[in-house]
Amino acid sequence: MEQMIDLVTQIIALAAVIIGTLFAIVGVLGYFRLPDVYTRLHATGKVGVFGVVLLLLAAVDLSLLGFGKGLVLIVLLMIFGPVASHAISAAAYRIGIPMKSAIRDDLAQASDR
Amino acid sequence: MVSLRWLLLISVLYLALTADFSVGNLLVGVLLSFGLAWLVHPSKERVSWQSFPRRAWYFARYILLLVSDIILSGVGVARVVLTPSLPINPGIIAIPTHCKSDFAQALSAHALTVTPGEMVVAIGEDGTMYTHCLDATHGQEVILEAQRLRRELLEKIVE
Repeated sequence: MEQMIDLVTQIIALAAVIIGTLFAIVGVLGYFRLPDVYTRLHATGKVGVFGVVLLLLAAVDLSLLGFGKGLVLIVLLMIFGPVASHAISAAAYRIGIPMKSAIRDDLAQASDR
Repeated sequence: MVSLRWLLLISVLYLALTADFSVGNLLVGVLLSFGLAWLVHPSKERVSWQSFPRRAWYFARYILLLVSDIILSGVGVARVVLTPSLPINPGIIAIPTHCKSDFAQALSAHALTVTPGEMVVAIGEDGTMYTHCLDATHGQEVILEAQRLRRELLEKIVE
């Protein structure tokens, strides 16, 4: 019975490693394919965070990383990943990096007034 | 004086990080968090303990919503990146908010950044969130509709 449970958790962890690595690769691919800093942040910020969370879940089972430590790291990533991409995009807009192929920009109209 | 909430929070964090639930480690953790809670000087606002279970319930629901959002946005953006024609129509859309406190506003912006294809670039003086969208063809009504459930949960947590 115990061996069964071990086997199942290991299969889940392996699946998490494979899917997490795929998402990390897709994040980097998005970094190369998307045109400007704002759209690139979508790829690296979101897809990247999702991939790292899955890898951490796998690490809790497969490596020496404790459950509590993994949980704290995942919560911190979930809280501060979006904060980091917001900070970078706000800084980019403030120093005037233009958006490529943008179809509307409400912020430019707001700051004109 | 030291706030009980900070004491609890830091102690739990310490226990989770050390993963050692012996009495000695617990004592060290409580002592450390006592010192830290004394150092950070939290604000004096009063929070009633009666409302705590209700808030915890809404908080758990919000966390579940956040996790599903992160999964959906990961898959959604990955699909956009992997489509050969790269179907994006980027743009910045102004989204009005009606949050009372700064804290609720920050949490609301965080929730909006987590949702698929959206990222808050700036927050105006009147609380308008200027949101960068990968697909800006749909107007702000669609985003507001999706944001309503999160805002209602957040308001029940923060009040």
